[in-house]
Amino acid sequence: MSLFKKINAISDNDKVRKAWFGLAVAVFVCLIIVPSIFVVTKLLTEWGVVSDTLGNSEIMSLIYGAVGNSFSIAFIVTIIDIIVGIPMAWIFVRKNFKGKKYLDTLMDMPLAFPTAVLGISVVIFWGVPADGVTIPGLGLVVSPYMMMIMLHIIFTYPYMVRSLSAILEQIEPNYETAAMTLGASRFTAVRTITLPLFRAGLVTGFILCFARSLSETGGTYIALTLMGDETTFFTGPTFIAFMKEMDPSVALGPMIVISVIMIVLALILLLLVKRIMIRIKLPVIKVWPSIGRKLSNGIAPKLKDIVSIGFLMLVVLLPAFYIFAYLTQPILNIDYGQLLSSTGMSFLVAGVAVVFDIIFGIPVALYIARHRHTKMGQLLDNLVNIPLIIPTTALGFSLALFWGSLGTGGIISVILVILGHISFTYPLVVRNITGAVEEVDPSYEEVAMTLGAKPLQAFSKVLMPIIKSSIIAGAILAFTRSLGETGATIAITSDVNTVPVYITELISSGSYSEAAICSIILILICFVFMFAVRAVTHRGDKSA
Amino acid sequence: MATKIELDGISMKFGDFYAVRNISLKVEEGEYITILGPSGCGKTTLIKVIAGIWRPTEGRVLVDGQDVTDVPIEDRDTGYVFQNIALFPNMDLMENVGYSPRVKDMPKDVTESVSTEYLELVKMLDRAGMFPGELSGGEQQKVAIARALASGSKMLMLDEPLSALDARVRVELRYDIRRLVKKLGITVLHVTHDQEEAMSVSDRIVLMRAGGIHESGSPLEMYREPKSIFAAYFIGETNLLECTVTDKSRTGKTTVRLRGGKSVKAARSELEEGDAAVISVRPERVYTATEGLKAKVLSVVFMGTYWRVRTVTETKDYVDYNISTDKVTPEIGSKVYLVFNKKATKVFKRPEKGLAEAIRLE
Amino acid sequence: MKDLIKSYGDTKAADGLSLTVKDGEYICILGPTGAGKTTCLRMICGLTKQDSGEITFDGKPMDKVPISERRTTMLSQVYSLFPPMTVYENVMFSPSIKDWPEEESKQLVKSMIKMVHMDQKVQQYPHELSGGQQQRTALARALASDSKVLLLDEPLRALDARLRLELRKELKSMAKEMGLTSIHVTHDQDEALEMADRIAIIRQGRIVQIGTPMEVFQNPATPFVANFVGRSNIFVGKVGTSDETGTEVILPDGTKVRSRHTDLSEGEDAVVAVKIGSTRIEHIPVPTEEVPDPLMPEGYFEAVIERILYEGATITVEMSSSAIELVTCKLPNRKFDDFSVGDRVMVSWAPDKATLFRIPECGIVEELRLD
Repeated sequence: MSLFKKINAISDNDKVRKAWFGLAVAVFVCLIIVPSIFVVTKLLTEWGVVSDTLGNSEIMSLIYGAVGNSFSIAFIVTIIDIIVGIPMAWIFVRKNFKGKKYLDTLMDMPLAFPTAVLGISVVIFWGVPADGVTIPGLGLVVSPYMMMIMLHIIFTYPYMVRSLSAILEQIEPNYETAAMTLGASRFTAVRTITLPLFRAGLVTGFILCFARSLSETGGTYIALTLMGDETTFFTGPTFIAFMKEMDPSVALGPMIVISVIMIVLALILLLLVKRIMIRIKLPVIKVWPSIGRKLSNGIAPKLKDIVSIGFLMLVVLLPAFYIFAYLTQPILNIDYGQLLSSTGMSFLVAGVAVVFDIIFGIPVALYIARHRHTKMGQLLDNLVNIPLIIPTTALGFSLALFWGSLGTGGIISVILVILGHISFTYPLVVRNITGAVEEVDPSYEEVAMTLGAKPLQAFSKVLMPIIKSSIIAGAILAFTRSLGETGATIAITSDVNTVPVYITELISSGSYSEAAICSIILILICFVFMFAVRAVTHRGDKSA
Repeated sequence: MATKIELDGISMKFGDFYAVRNISLKVEEGEYITILGPSGCGKTTLIKVIAGIWRPTEGRVLVDGQDVTDVPIEDRDTGYVFQNIALFPNMDLMENVGYSPRVKDMPKDVTESVSTEYLELVKMLDRAGMFPGELSGGEQQKVAIARALASGSKMLMLDEPLSALDARVRVELRYDIRRLVKKLGITVLHVTHDQEEAMSVSDRIVLMRAGGIHESGSPLEMYREPKSIFAAYFIGETNLLECTVTDKSRTGKTTVRLRGGKSVKAARSELEEGDAAVISVRPERVYTATEGLKAKVLSVVFMGTYWRVRTVTETKDYVDYNISTDKVTPEIGSKVYLVFNKKATKVFKRPEKGLAEAIRLE
Repeated sequence: MKDLIKSYGDTKAADGLSLTVKDGEYICILGPTGAGKTTCLRMICGLTKQDSGEITFDGKPMDKVPISERRTTMLSQVYSLFPPMTVYENVMFSPSIKDWPEEESKQLVKSMIKMVHMDQKVQQYPHELSGGQQQRTALARALASDSKVLLLDEPLRALDARLRLELRKELKSMAKEMGLTSIHVTHDQDEALEMADRIAIIRQGRIVQIGTPMEVFQNPATPFVANFVGRSNIFVGKVGTSDETGTEVILPDGTKVRSRHTDLSEGEDAVVAVKIGSTRIEHIPVPTEEVPDPLMPEGYFEAVIERILYEGATITVEMSSSAIELVTCKLPNRKFDDFSVGDRVMVSWAPDKATLFRIPECGIVEELRLD
């Protein structure tokens, strides 16, 4: 282990640690940030093509329509998530009952579904089955706009509930109890004391949900195709994907314009949301004691809980699982060879991306966690969030433009796709590690150092064992996220066939049953990983 | 004086574990009761049950003679001050103290005058516009008390209110609290693990251990006449020596023989000749003389108002005694002869499980 | 430590802090929360770097020496036992990190665990231990690290009062037995008095006084120290004449009391501090036939008893008088039956028990603030 000893001895040196950190930041900025927003500079360099597009009112109205749809859907979905998420977060954090563990698992399930698959499932559940689909649906939803909302709710819901739960856990429950001893009913106590303290959690939840909804490509595209609306209804990402199929000379202008619009609007949103949330005045002064009491005791709270759980079951989970109905259908010929190679490609991309994330994410995460209150720490924190906010399809397109000069085809395409996946999984891994490190008292490492441990030893022998399970959990979540991504892959190149891309092709060509079966297989793979996460974190919980 | 609060057969069970078991207690109006005991003895559970924060598994809670066991927290009208303060961080002091009148929908001017009155009582009125985060621990706790009292409640539950504060601040604040509640005629239950705190402010001390009431009485009674070894050890300091009863006079005065054969005269007891016993004598009741129990001086420590001399006796017992700071202290290693004040030497039956187990704190 | 300065934004955690600690001594740094005690310890072991000033060990400057090589180990009120490791593994941490020979390490660890009476619990994890057990394990871990300096950051703060008393003795005797130099930081004067060879009083980032427990208690350097280490009666008066027995001080209402000798000049305003344990009270002699007009000796003034609190070994008597608003005195408990609320008594003290100070620049209220 003499190499380790050498590294150990070197790590005691302040300068060396700073250099390693600097390298990680440089890699982050060069490989992730710059390519992600490169398209904005393209706006200027390709002004000719761009101005043509801006002049073309037909294309522009399509673009405005698509952007408008994306942002309005994202907004509506997020608001709905907040309304149903708050009571659910309450159930999680404050209540204890038998079967709470199952609720916990159910809550995470939507995250295990690749969104492409959800696209199929939601349409066949809520809508009127298209020709070729042999499973009956409810037939309640026919407008594409409504269908997108029903779809986007499913995969954004867990993000909201988790963010709200995290904040609620940190709010001292004694505040509410104190308020009640002073004569406030629980409803009043929550409204006047806890909710105002909640804002930070709402901001995080809002950003995550909104960004997730903005980004989503595969499911949206597939759902629209199944409804037959894929050429008439667009969201930002599906428009970009649609344009990718066209002749590059025609498509370049519109793609640049819409990408830039989406990126800039998303970044402005990131800056504004925090400010707006703090300003909103919640009604905390006026008190309605009798209403407060009625709402706090008796049926009302129970009703609220039933509605929350009912929402989770009927609007989120049931539509998601509906695709399993396809198991009742006779299984037609499936190209297992193609499926296998797609799965292999997906694993390769996801695997390399996550490993890269961990190696170059840990130093950045450590820095942010321990330097939260410095300018540099906050700057890094915001930078890390950028790839999260930018719709993955626009991000993929920007990346392709940036590295485009390297040529296309073969290994290069795969590498580009990997780079793309690194971009949107990196923030997930870093945020996860940062969160885990922030929970750990810095005194452990400090004591270790006074006992003779050099900084690297303090990290590897003391901090790592404590946060290990969180790192693994974060890595698996990022892996699953990458497995489910469609938009970025398509935007970069049509050559690389990951499973979601394959499923999209199957849908486009009308092979619905095959698409469904491949989807089911993909879901099962993701479930396996999901359960692995739970097993690892629960074992980790015992010792930490 | 009327009984303000009564606990009747209260038990609180968590799964298989009894936090408190079958507790009955009566508190008079205007009384300042301290519930004293080591961590985990169930003392906080008791006041949470009285305030309605926890519903007891068994038993009843009565206030002013009425059964309030099923009354929800917000209607109990019991002030509660938490150990970790819990002032609402997003409101200034004025709004914090005015919270109770506000949620009871009092008119605005009433709320304001109540807030002003109680902030003035705890001498924090000049800081009314500040936020909790800007105050020190002691100041925050004063505001928390003002807030609890501003609800108009005549009962106050204090949940280890001083434990998070500096030692010096504790001493000042506990007297301030007592003066305030006595002035307003509030009935107080004050939970603490600090016997010095309990002794200095209580009308009555209730000593708890392992979910039950061990003993109760005024500070004077608990100190002078403890009924058990645990009480003798937990409240104040004492020297405990294992011994055997050798003789009892007609009036009940006991003579005991220490390990190693030395005889010591002690106070009246109920034990009989031959019983295994333990004697308890406080350091201020141990004197040096020209003859008595031989001991070697181990250390002499300056304690401010006295010297604490630690010795080991010929019977292999550790005995501490005090010397006034004006007097000369013995050399370390020198021999002294110890004499115990007979009346102050209490005799207890030796516990079956052994002395160490009887006084164990954790 | 010489002239250490450390600022966090606008607050100065260390403001010209200077202190010399002798080899093998057990020194307590005593002061209120926020005085800069923790910062002081952190600068010594290297976890915090001072803005300016010098720290030397055995004369050698320490600024280039990394934390892991300073051989100073810290014990705090949060224990910081490594959660995924057992008691044994925690104590073994330092020897294994430093790569010491296996057999010797095992022996060392076993004997340290035995010394703190944790040998029955070697395989348990920190979350399974009580507070006192965790602190003892942390101590064993510190002792097994071959450190020369033990830094204790309010190690007993999180424990029950009774438990603290028990652990105080254990802690000091073990540190002395291992020959360590110990720097113990606390806000609790009883703890400092009992444990320290010397006490250094810290306030607002600097050392205000240093001396043995007796020196600091009986000869306070400032009114703050007079009231912080043992409660004192504090009031203001004008310096009067001096003679062999002491100095006269004239209170605002004309009453004359006595204090020890002082450098202050006659006519100057001064702060008088008398420990409540040194304040004496006696019943006013009732006129009798033989002595119809008993003389009230100099230095006595009258007061009325407002409150008597039985506190165990001692009682506290609070009185009010025209001379001083609130006078407190602490008496042994055998005096409890001698006095009742409402009694008129005479308050006095031996002249050498009262100390005179110049009026502090920041004002008396600010000087006496405890937090």
